[in-house]
Amino acid sequence: MKRSIAAASLHYAVLIFLALLCVMPIVVIFATSLRQQVQIFAEPLNFLFMPTLENYRAVLQEDKLDRYLFNSLFVGVVSTVITLVLGCMAAYGLARFRFKGRTTIAYTTLLLRTVPLAVLAIPVFVIWNNWNLVNSLWGLVLLYVAVNLPFTIWLLYGFVLQVPIELEEAAAIDGCGPFRVFTLVFLPLIAPGLAAASIFTFRIAWNEFILALVLTDRHTRTLPVAASLFITDMGVDWGKVMAMGSLIAIPPLIFTFVAARQIIGGLTAGAVKG
Amino acid sequence: MSGLELRGVVKRFGDVVVVKQLNLKVAEGEFLVLLGESGCGKSTTLRMIAGLEEVTEGRVFIGGRDVTDTHPMDRDIAMVFQNYALYPHMDVAKNMSFSLRISGVAPAVVAERVAAAAKILNIEHILARKPKDLSGGQRQRVAIGRAIVREPKVFLFDEPLSNLDAKLRSHMRAELAVLHQRLGKTTIYVTHDQVEAMTLATRIVVFDKGQIQQVGTPAEVFNNPANTFVAGFIGTPSMNMFEVVAQVRNGELRLVGDGIDWAAPQWLGAVGVKDAQPLTLGLRPQSLSAGEALVNRFTLRADVVEYLGTESQVVGVTQTKDERRISVIVPGDARAMHRQHVSFCFDPSALHVFDKGSGASLRPTINDTLTYTNKEMTP
Repeated sequence: MKRSIAAASLHYAVLIFLALLCVMPIVVIFATSLRQQVQIFAEPLNFLFMPTLENYRAVLQEDKLDRYLFNSLFVGVVSTVITLVLGCMAAYGLARFRFKGRTTIAYTTLLLRTVPLAVLAIPVFVIWNNWNLVNSLWGLVLLYVAVNLPFTIWLLYGFVLQVPIELEEAAAIDGCGPFRVFTLVFLPLIAPGLAAASIFTFRIAWNEFILALVLTDRHTRTLPVAASLFITDMGVDWGKVMAMGSLIAIPPLIFTFVAARQIIGGLTAGAVKG
Repeated sequence: MSGLELRGVVKRFGDVVVVKQLNLKVAEGEFLVLLGESGCGKSTTLRMIAGLEEVTEGRVFIGGRDVTDTHPMDRDIAMVFQNYALYPHMDVAKNMSFSLRISGVAPAVVAERVAAAAKILNIEHILARKPKDLSGGQRQRVAIGRAIVREPKVFLFDEPLSNLDAKLRSHMRAELAVLHQRLGKTTIYVTHDQVEAMTLATRIVVFDKGQIQQVGTPAEVFNNPANTFVAGFIGTPSMNMFEVVAQVRNGELRLVGDGIDWAAPQWLGAVGVKDAQPLTLGLRPQSLSAGEALVNRFTLRADVVEYLGTESQVVGVTQTKDERRISVIVPGDARAMHRQHVSFCFDPSALHVFDKGSGASLRPTINDTLTYTNKEMTP
C-alpha cells in the first residue's frame, strides 16, 4: 500500500513537471506581453509587476494588421479545406481500391513529411519564382496543401479503414451512386478524422513562419511574419512580439476547441456487429 | 413477374474459381435458401445477384430483365447484411427511410411506409434511437425494416441471424417466416445453418466448392440426398457413413464390410448394383432403434450419452477393427446406456446408398422410395 502511494506520488510529480514544461513558455509569453520593455530584462526576475496593455494597444494599432489577419485566415482556411478535400479522397482510394504500387505510394507520401520545412525554402522559392507564385497567397496555399497532404492522408486512412465496407454496400443497394455513398454515408462517419486533420492542417498553415517569410512580401505576409517585424536593427521589442504572439494564438485555439468537439469516439458504433 | 434467374454464372478471383457454372431459376414469391459451409461460394453468389460483385461469366436476370451489368441501385432489390450495416449517424427512422428519401419519395409517403414497416416489425417505440442504443435483435429488425420499406422485387438475406444468440435466432426465424408469408416476395437467403434452411425454405440449394450439389424442397434434400456431401451436411447429428461392398449370396443382395453383413434395401437390386461393387452407406441417427427387433444390427460401446429432455444422443464406437464413431438418437432418457455395449437395429429401407467413386446417391427419388416402403408394409 505504501509503495503504491509512493509510486502514485512519483507518477503525479512527473506529470506535473511535464505539464509545467508545456505551460511555462505560454505563461512567460503572456506575462512578457503585459510588461513594459524596461521591466522585461529587469534584474532580478520579478514576478510581481504592474501589468499593462500598452503592448497590445501598440500591436492592434499597427498599420496593415487587418491585412495580415486576412492573409493568415485566407491561407489557413483555404489550404485546410483543399487539404481535407484531397486528403479524404486520396485516403479513400488508398484504403478501398487495390492497385499496383498502392503500398509504395502510401509509404512515400509519409516520407515526404519527414523533410524539415526550412530545407524546402530554397528549392520551393526557385520553383515558385518560376511559376510566378512568389508573393501570392495562392502560392502559400499551394505550399501548405503540399506540406500537409501526406500526413492528412495517413491520418484519414486509419479512419477510412474503420468504416465498415458493408455500409457503403448497403448505401449502394439503397440507391446511392458512388458520389452519394461518399458524401451521405462515408463523410459523416469520418467526421472525427476530418476534425483532427483540420486542426493539424490549420495550425501548421497559421503558425508556419520560415516559408511564409521567404514567399511573401509586405502585402501578402501572414501574422507570424508580421510578428517578426518587431525584430529590427535597433533591437527586439519583446513586449510587442509577445503580445502579437498571444493574439495570434487565439484563432487556432478557438478553432481547435470547436473542431475537437467533433472528435468523439465510437461514431461507427452500432453500425455492424462488433 | 419478379422471379430470378442465373444463367451459366461463373465467378473467378484471379485464378481461383469461386462459383462454377451456376444455373438456377427462382420462381416469383419463392423463399430460396443457399446452404453451405463457409467459403463454398453461396455469399459470393448472393453478392453477384445484388450487384456488389461482378459476374465473370454468365447472366443474371431479375424479373425477366438482364441486370448483369446494372448498378445495385437499379436492380430493385433490398439486402439484409450479416452484420446489419446500419448507418450509425442516423436514427432508426432515418435508417429505414434512407433509400426512399434519396430517391425523392414524398415525405408523407415515406412516413407512412416507415410507420407501416415499423408496425410489422414491432419497432415503433425505437424509431428515434441511434443504432448504438439498440440490442442485437432490434438492430436486425431495423435492418429488415430498411429492406421492407423499399418494397423491392427481391429480398436478399446474407446470414442475417448468425450474430444473434440461440433463443433470439429461433424467434427471429419464426418472424422471418411470417414476414415472407405476409409479403410474398421472392427471397434469396444465404445461411450455413441447416435449421434455418429446413424451416424457412420453399427450396434449398446445397452448395459445396462453388457448385450446386442439390436443389430441392427441405423434405427432398433430407430424405433423398443427392450425394454423400448433402447426406453428411443435412441433418443433425450427421448421417452415419459406412464403407461396404455389394455381395450376391444365395440370390440375395447383401452389404458386407468391416464387421458388417446387412440385408440390402429391396430397391437396390432394381438400380443395377453389381456383385463386388464398392458402396457408401448412409444411416440417419434417427433411423436406429435400440434392441434386435429389426433385420440389420450392430453393437456400439456408448461412450457419450447426451440427455436432451425428450430424447438422448448416444455417441459410441462400433465393435469392429476400425472402431467407427456412430451417433444415435433414442427417445427419452438413455443415460443408463453410458459405457454399456448396446445393440442397435434398423430396417434396410432406412439405408441411403451411394456409389463409392462418385458419391452419387443410388436411391430412387423420394416417391419411389415411398412406394417401396408401402410394398413392404403390405401383407
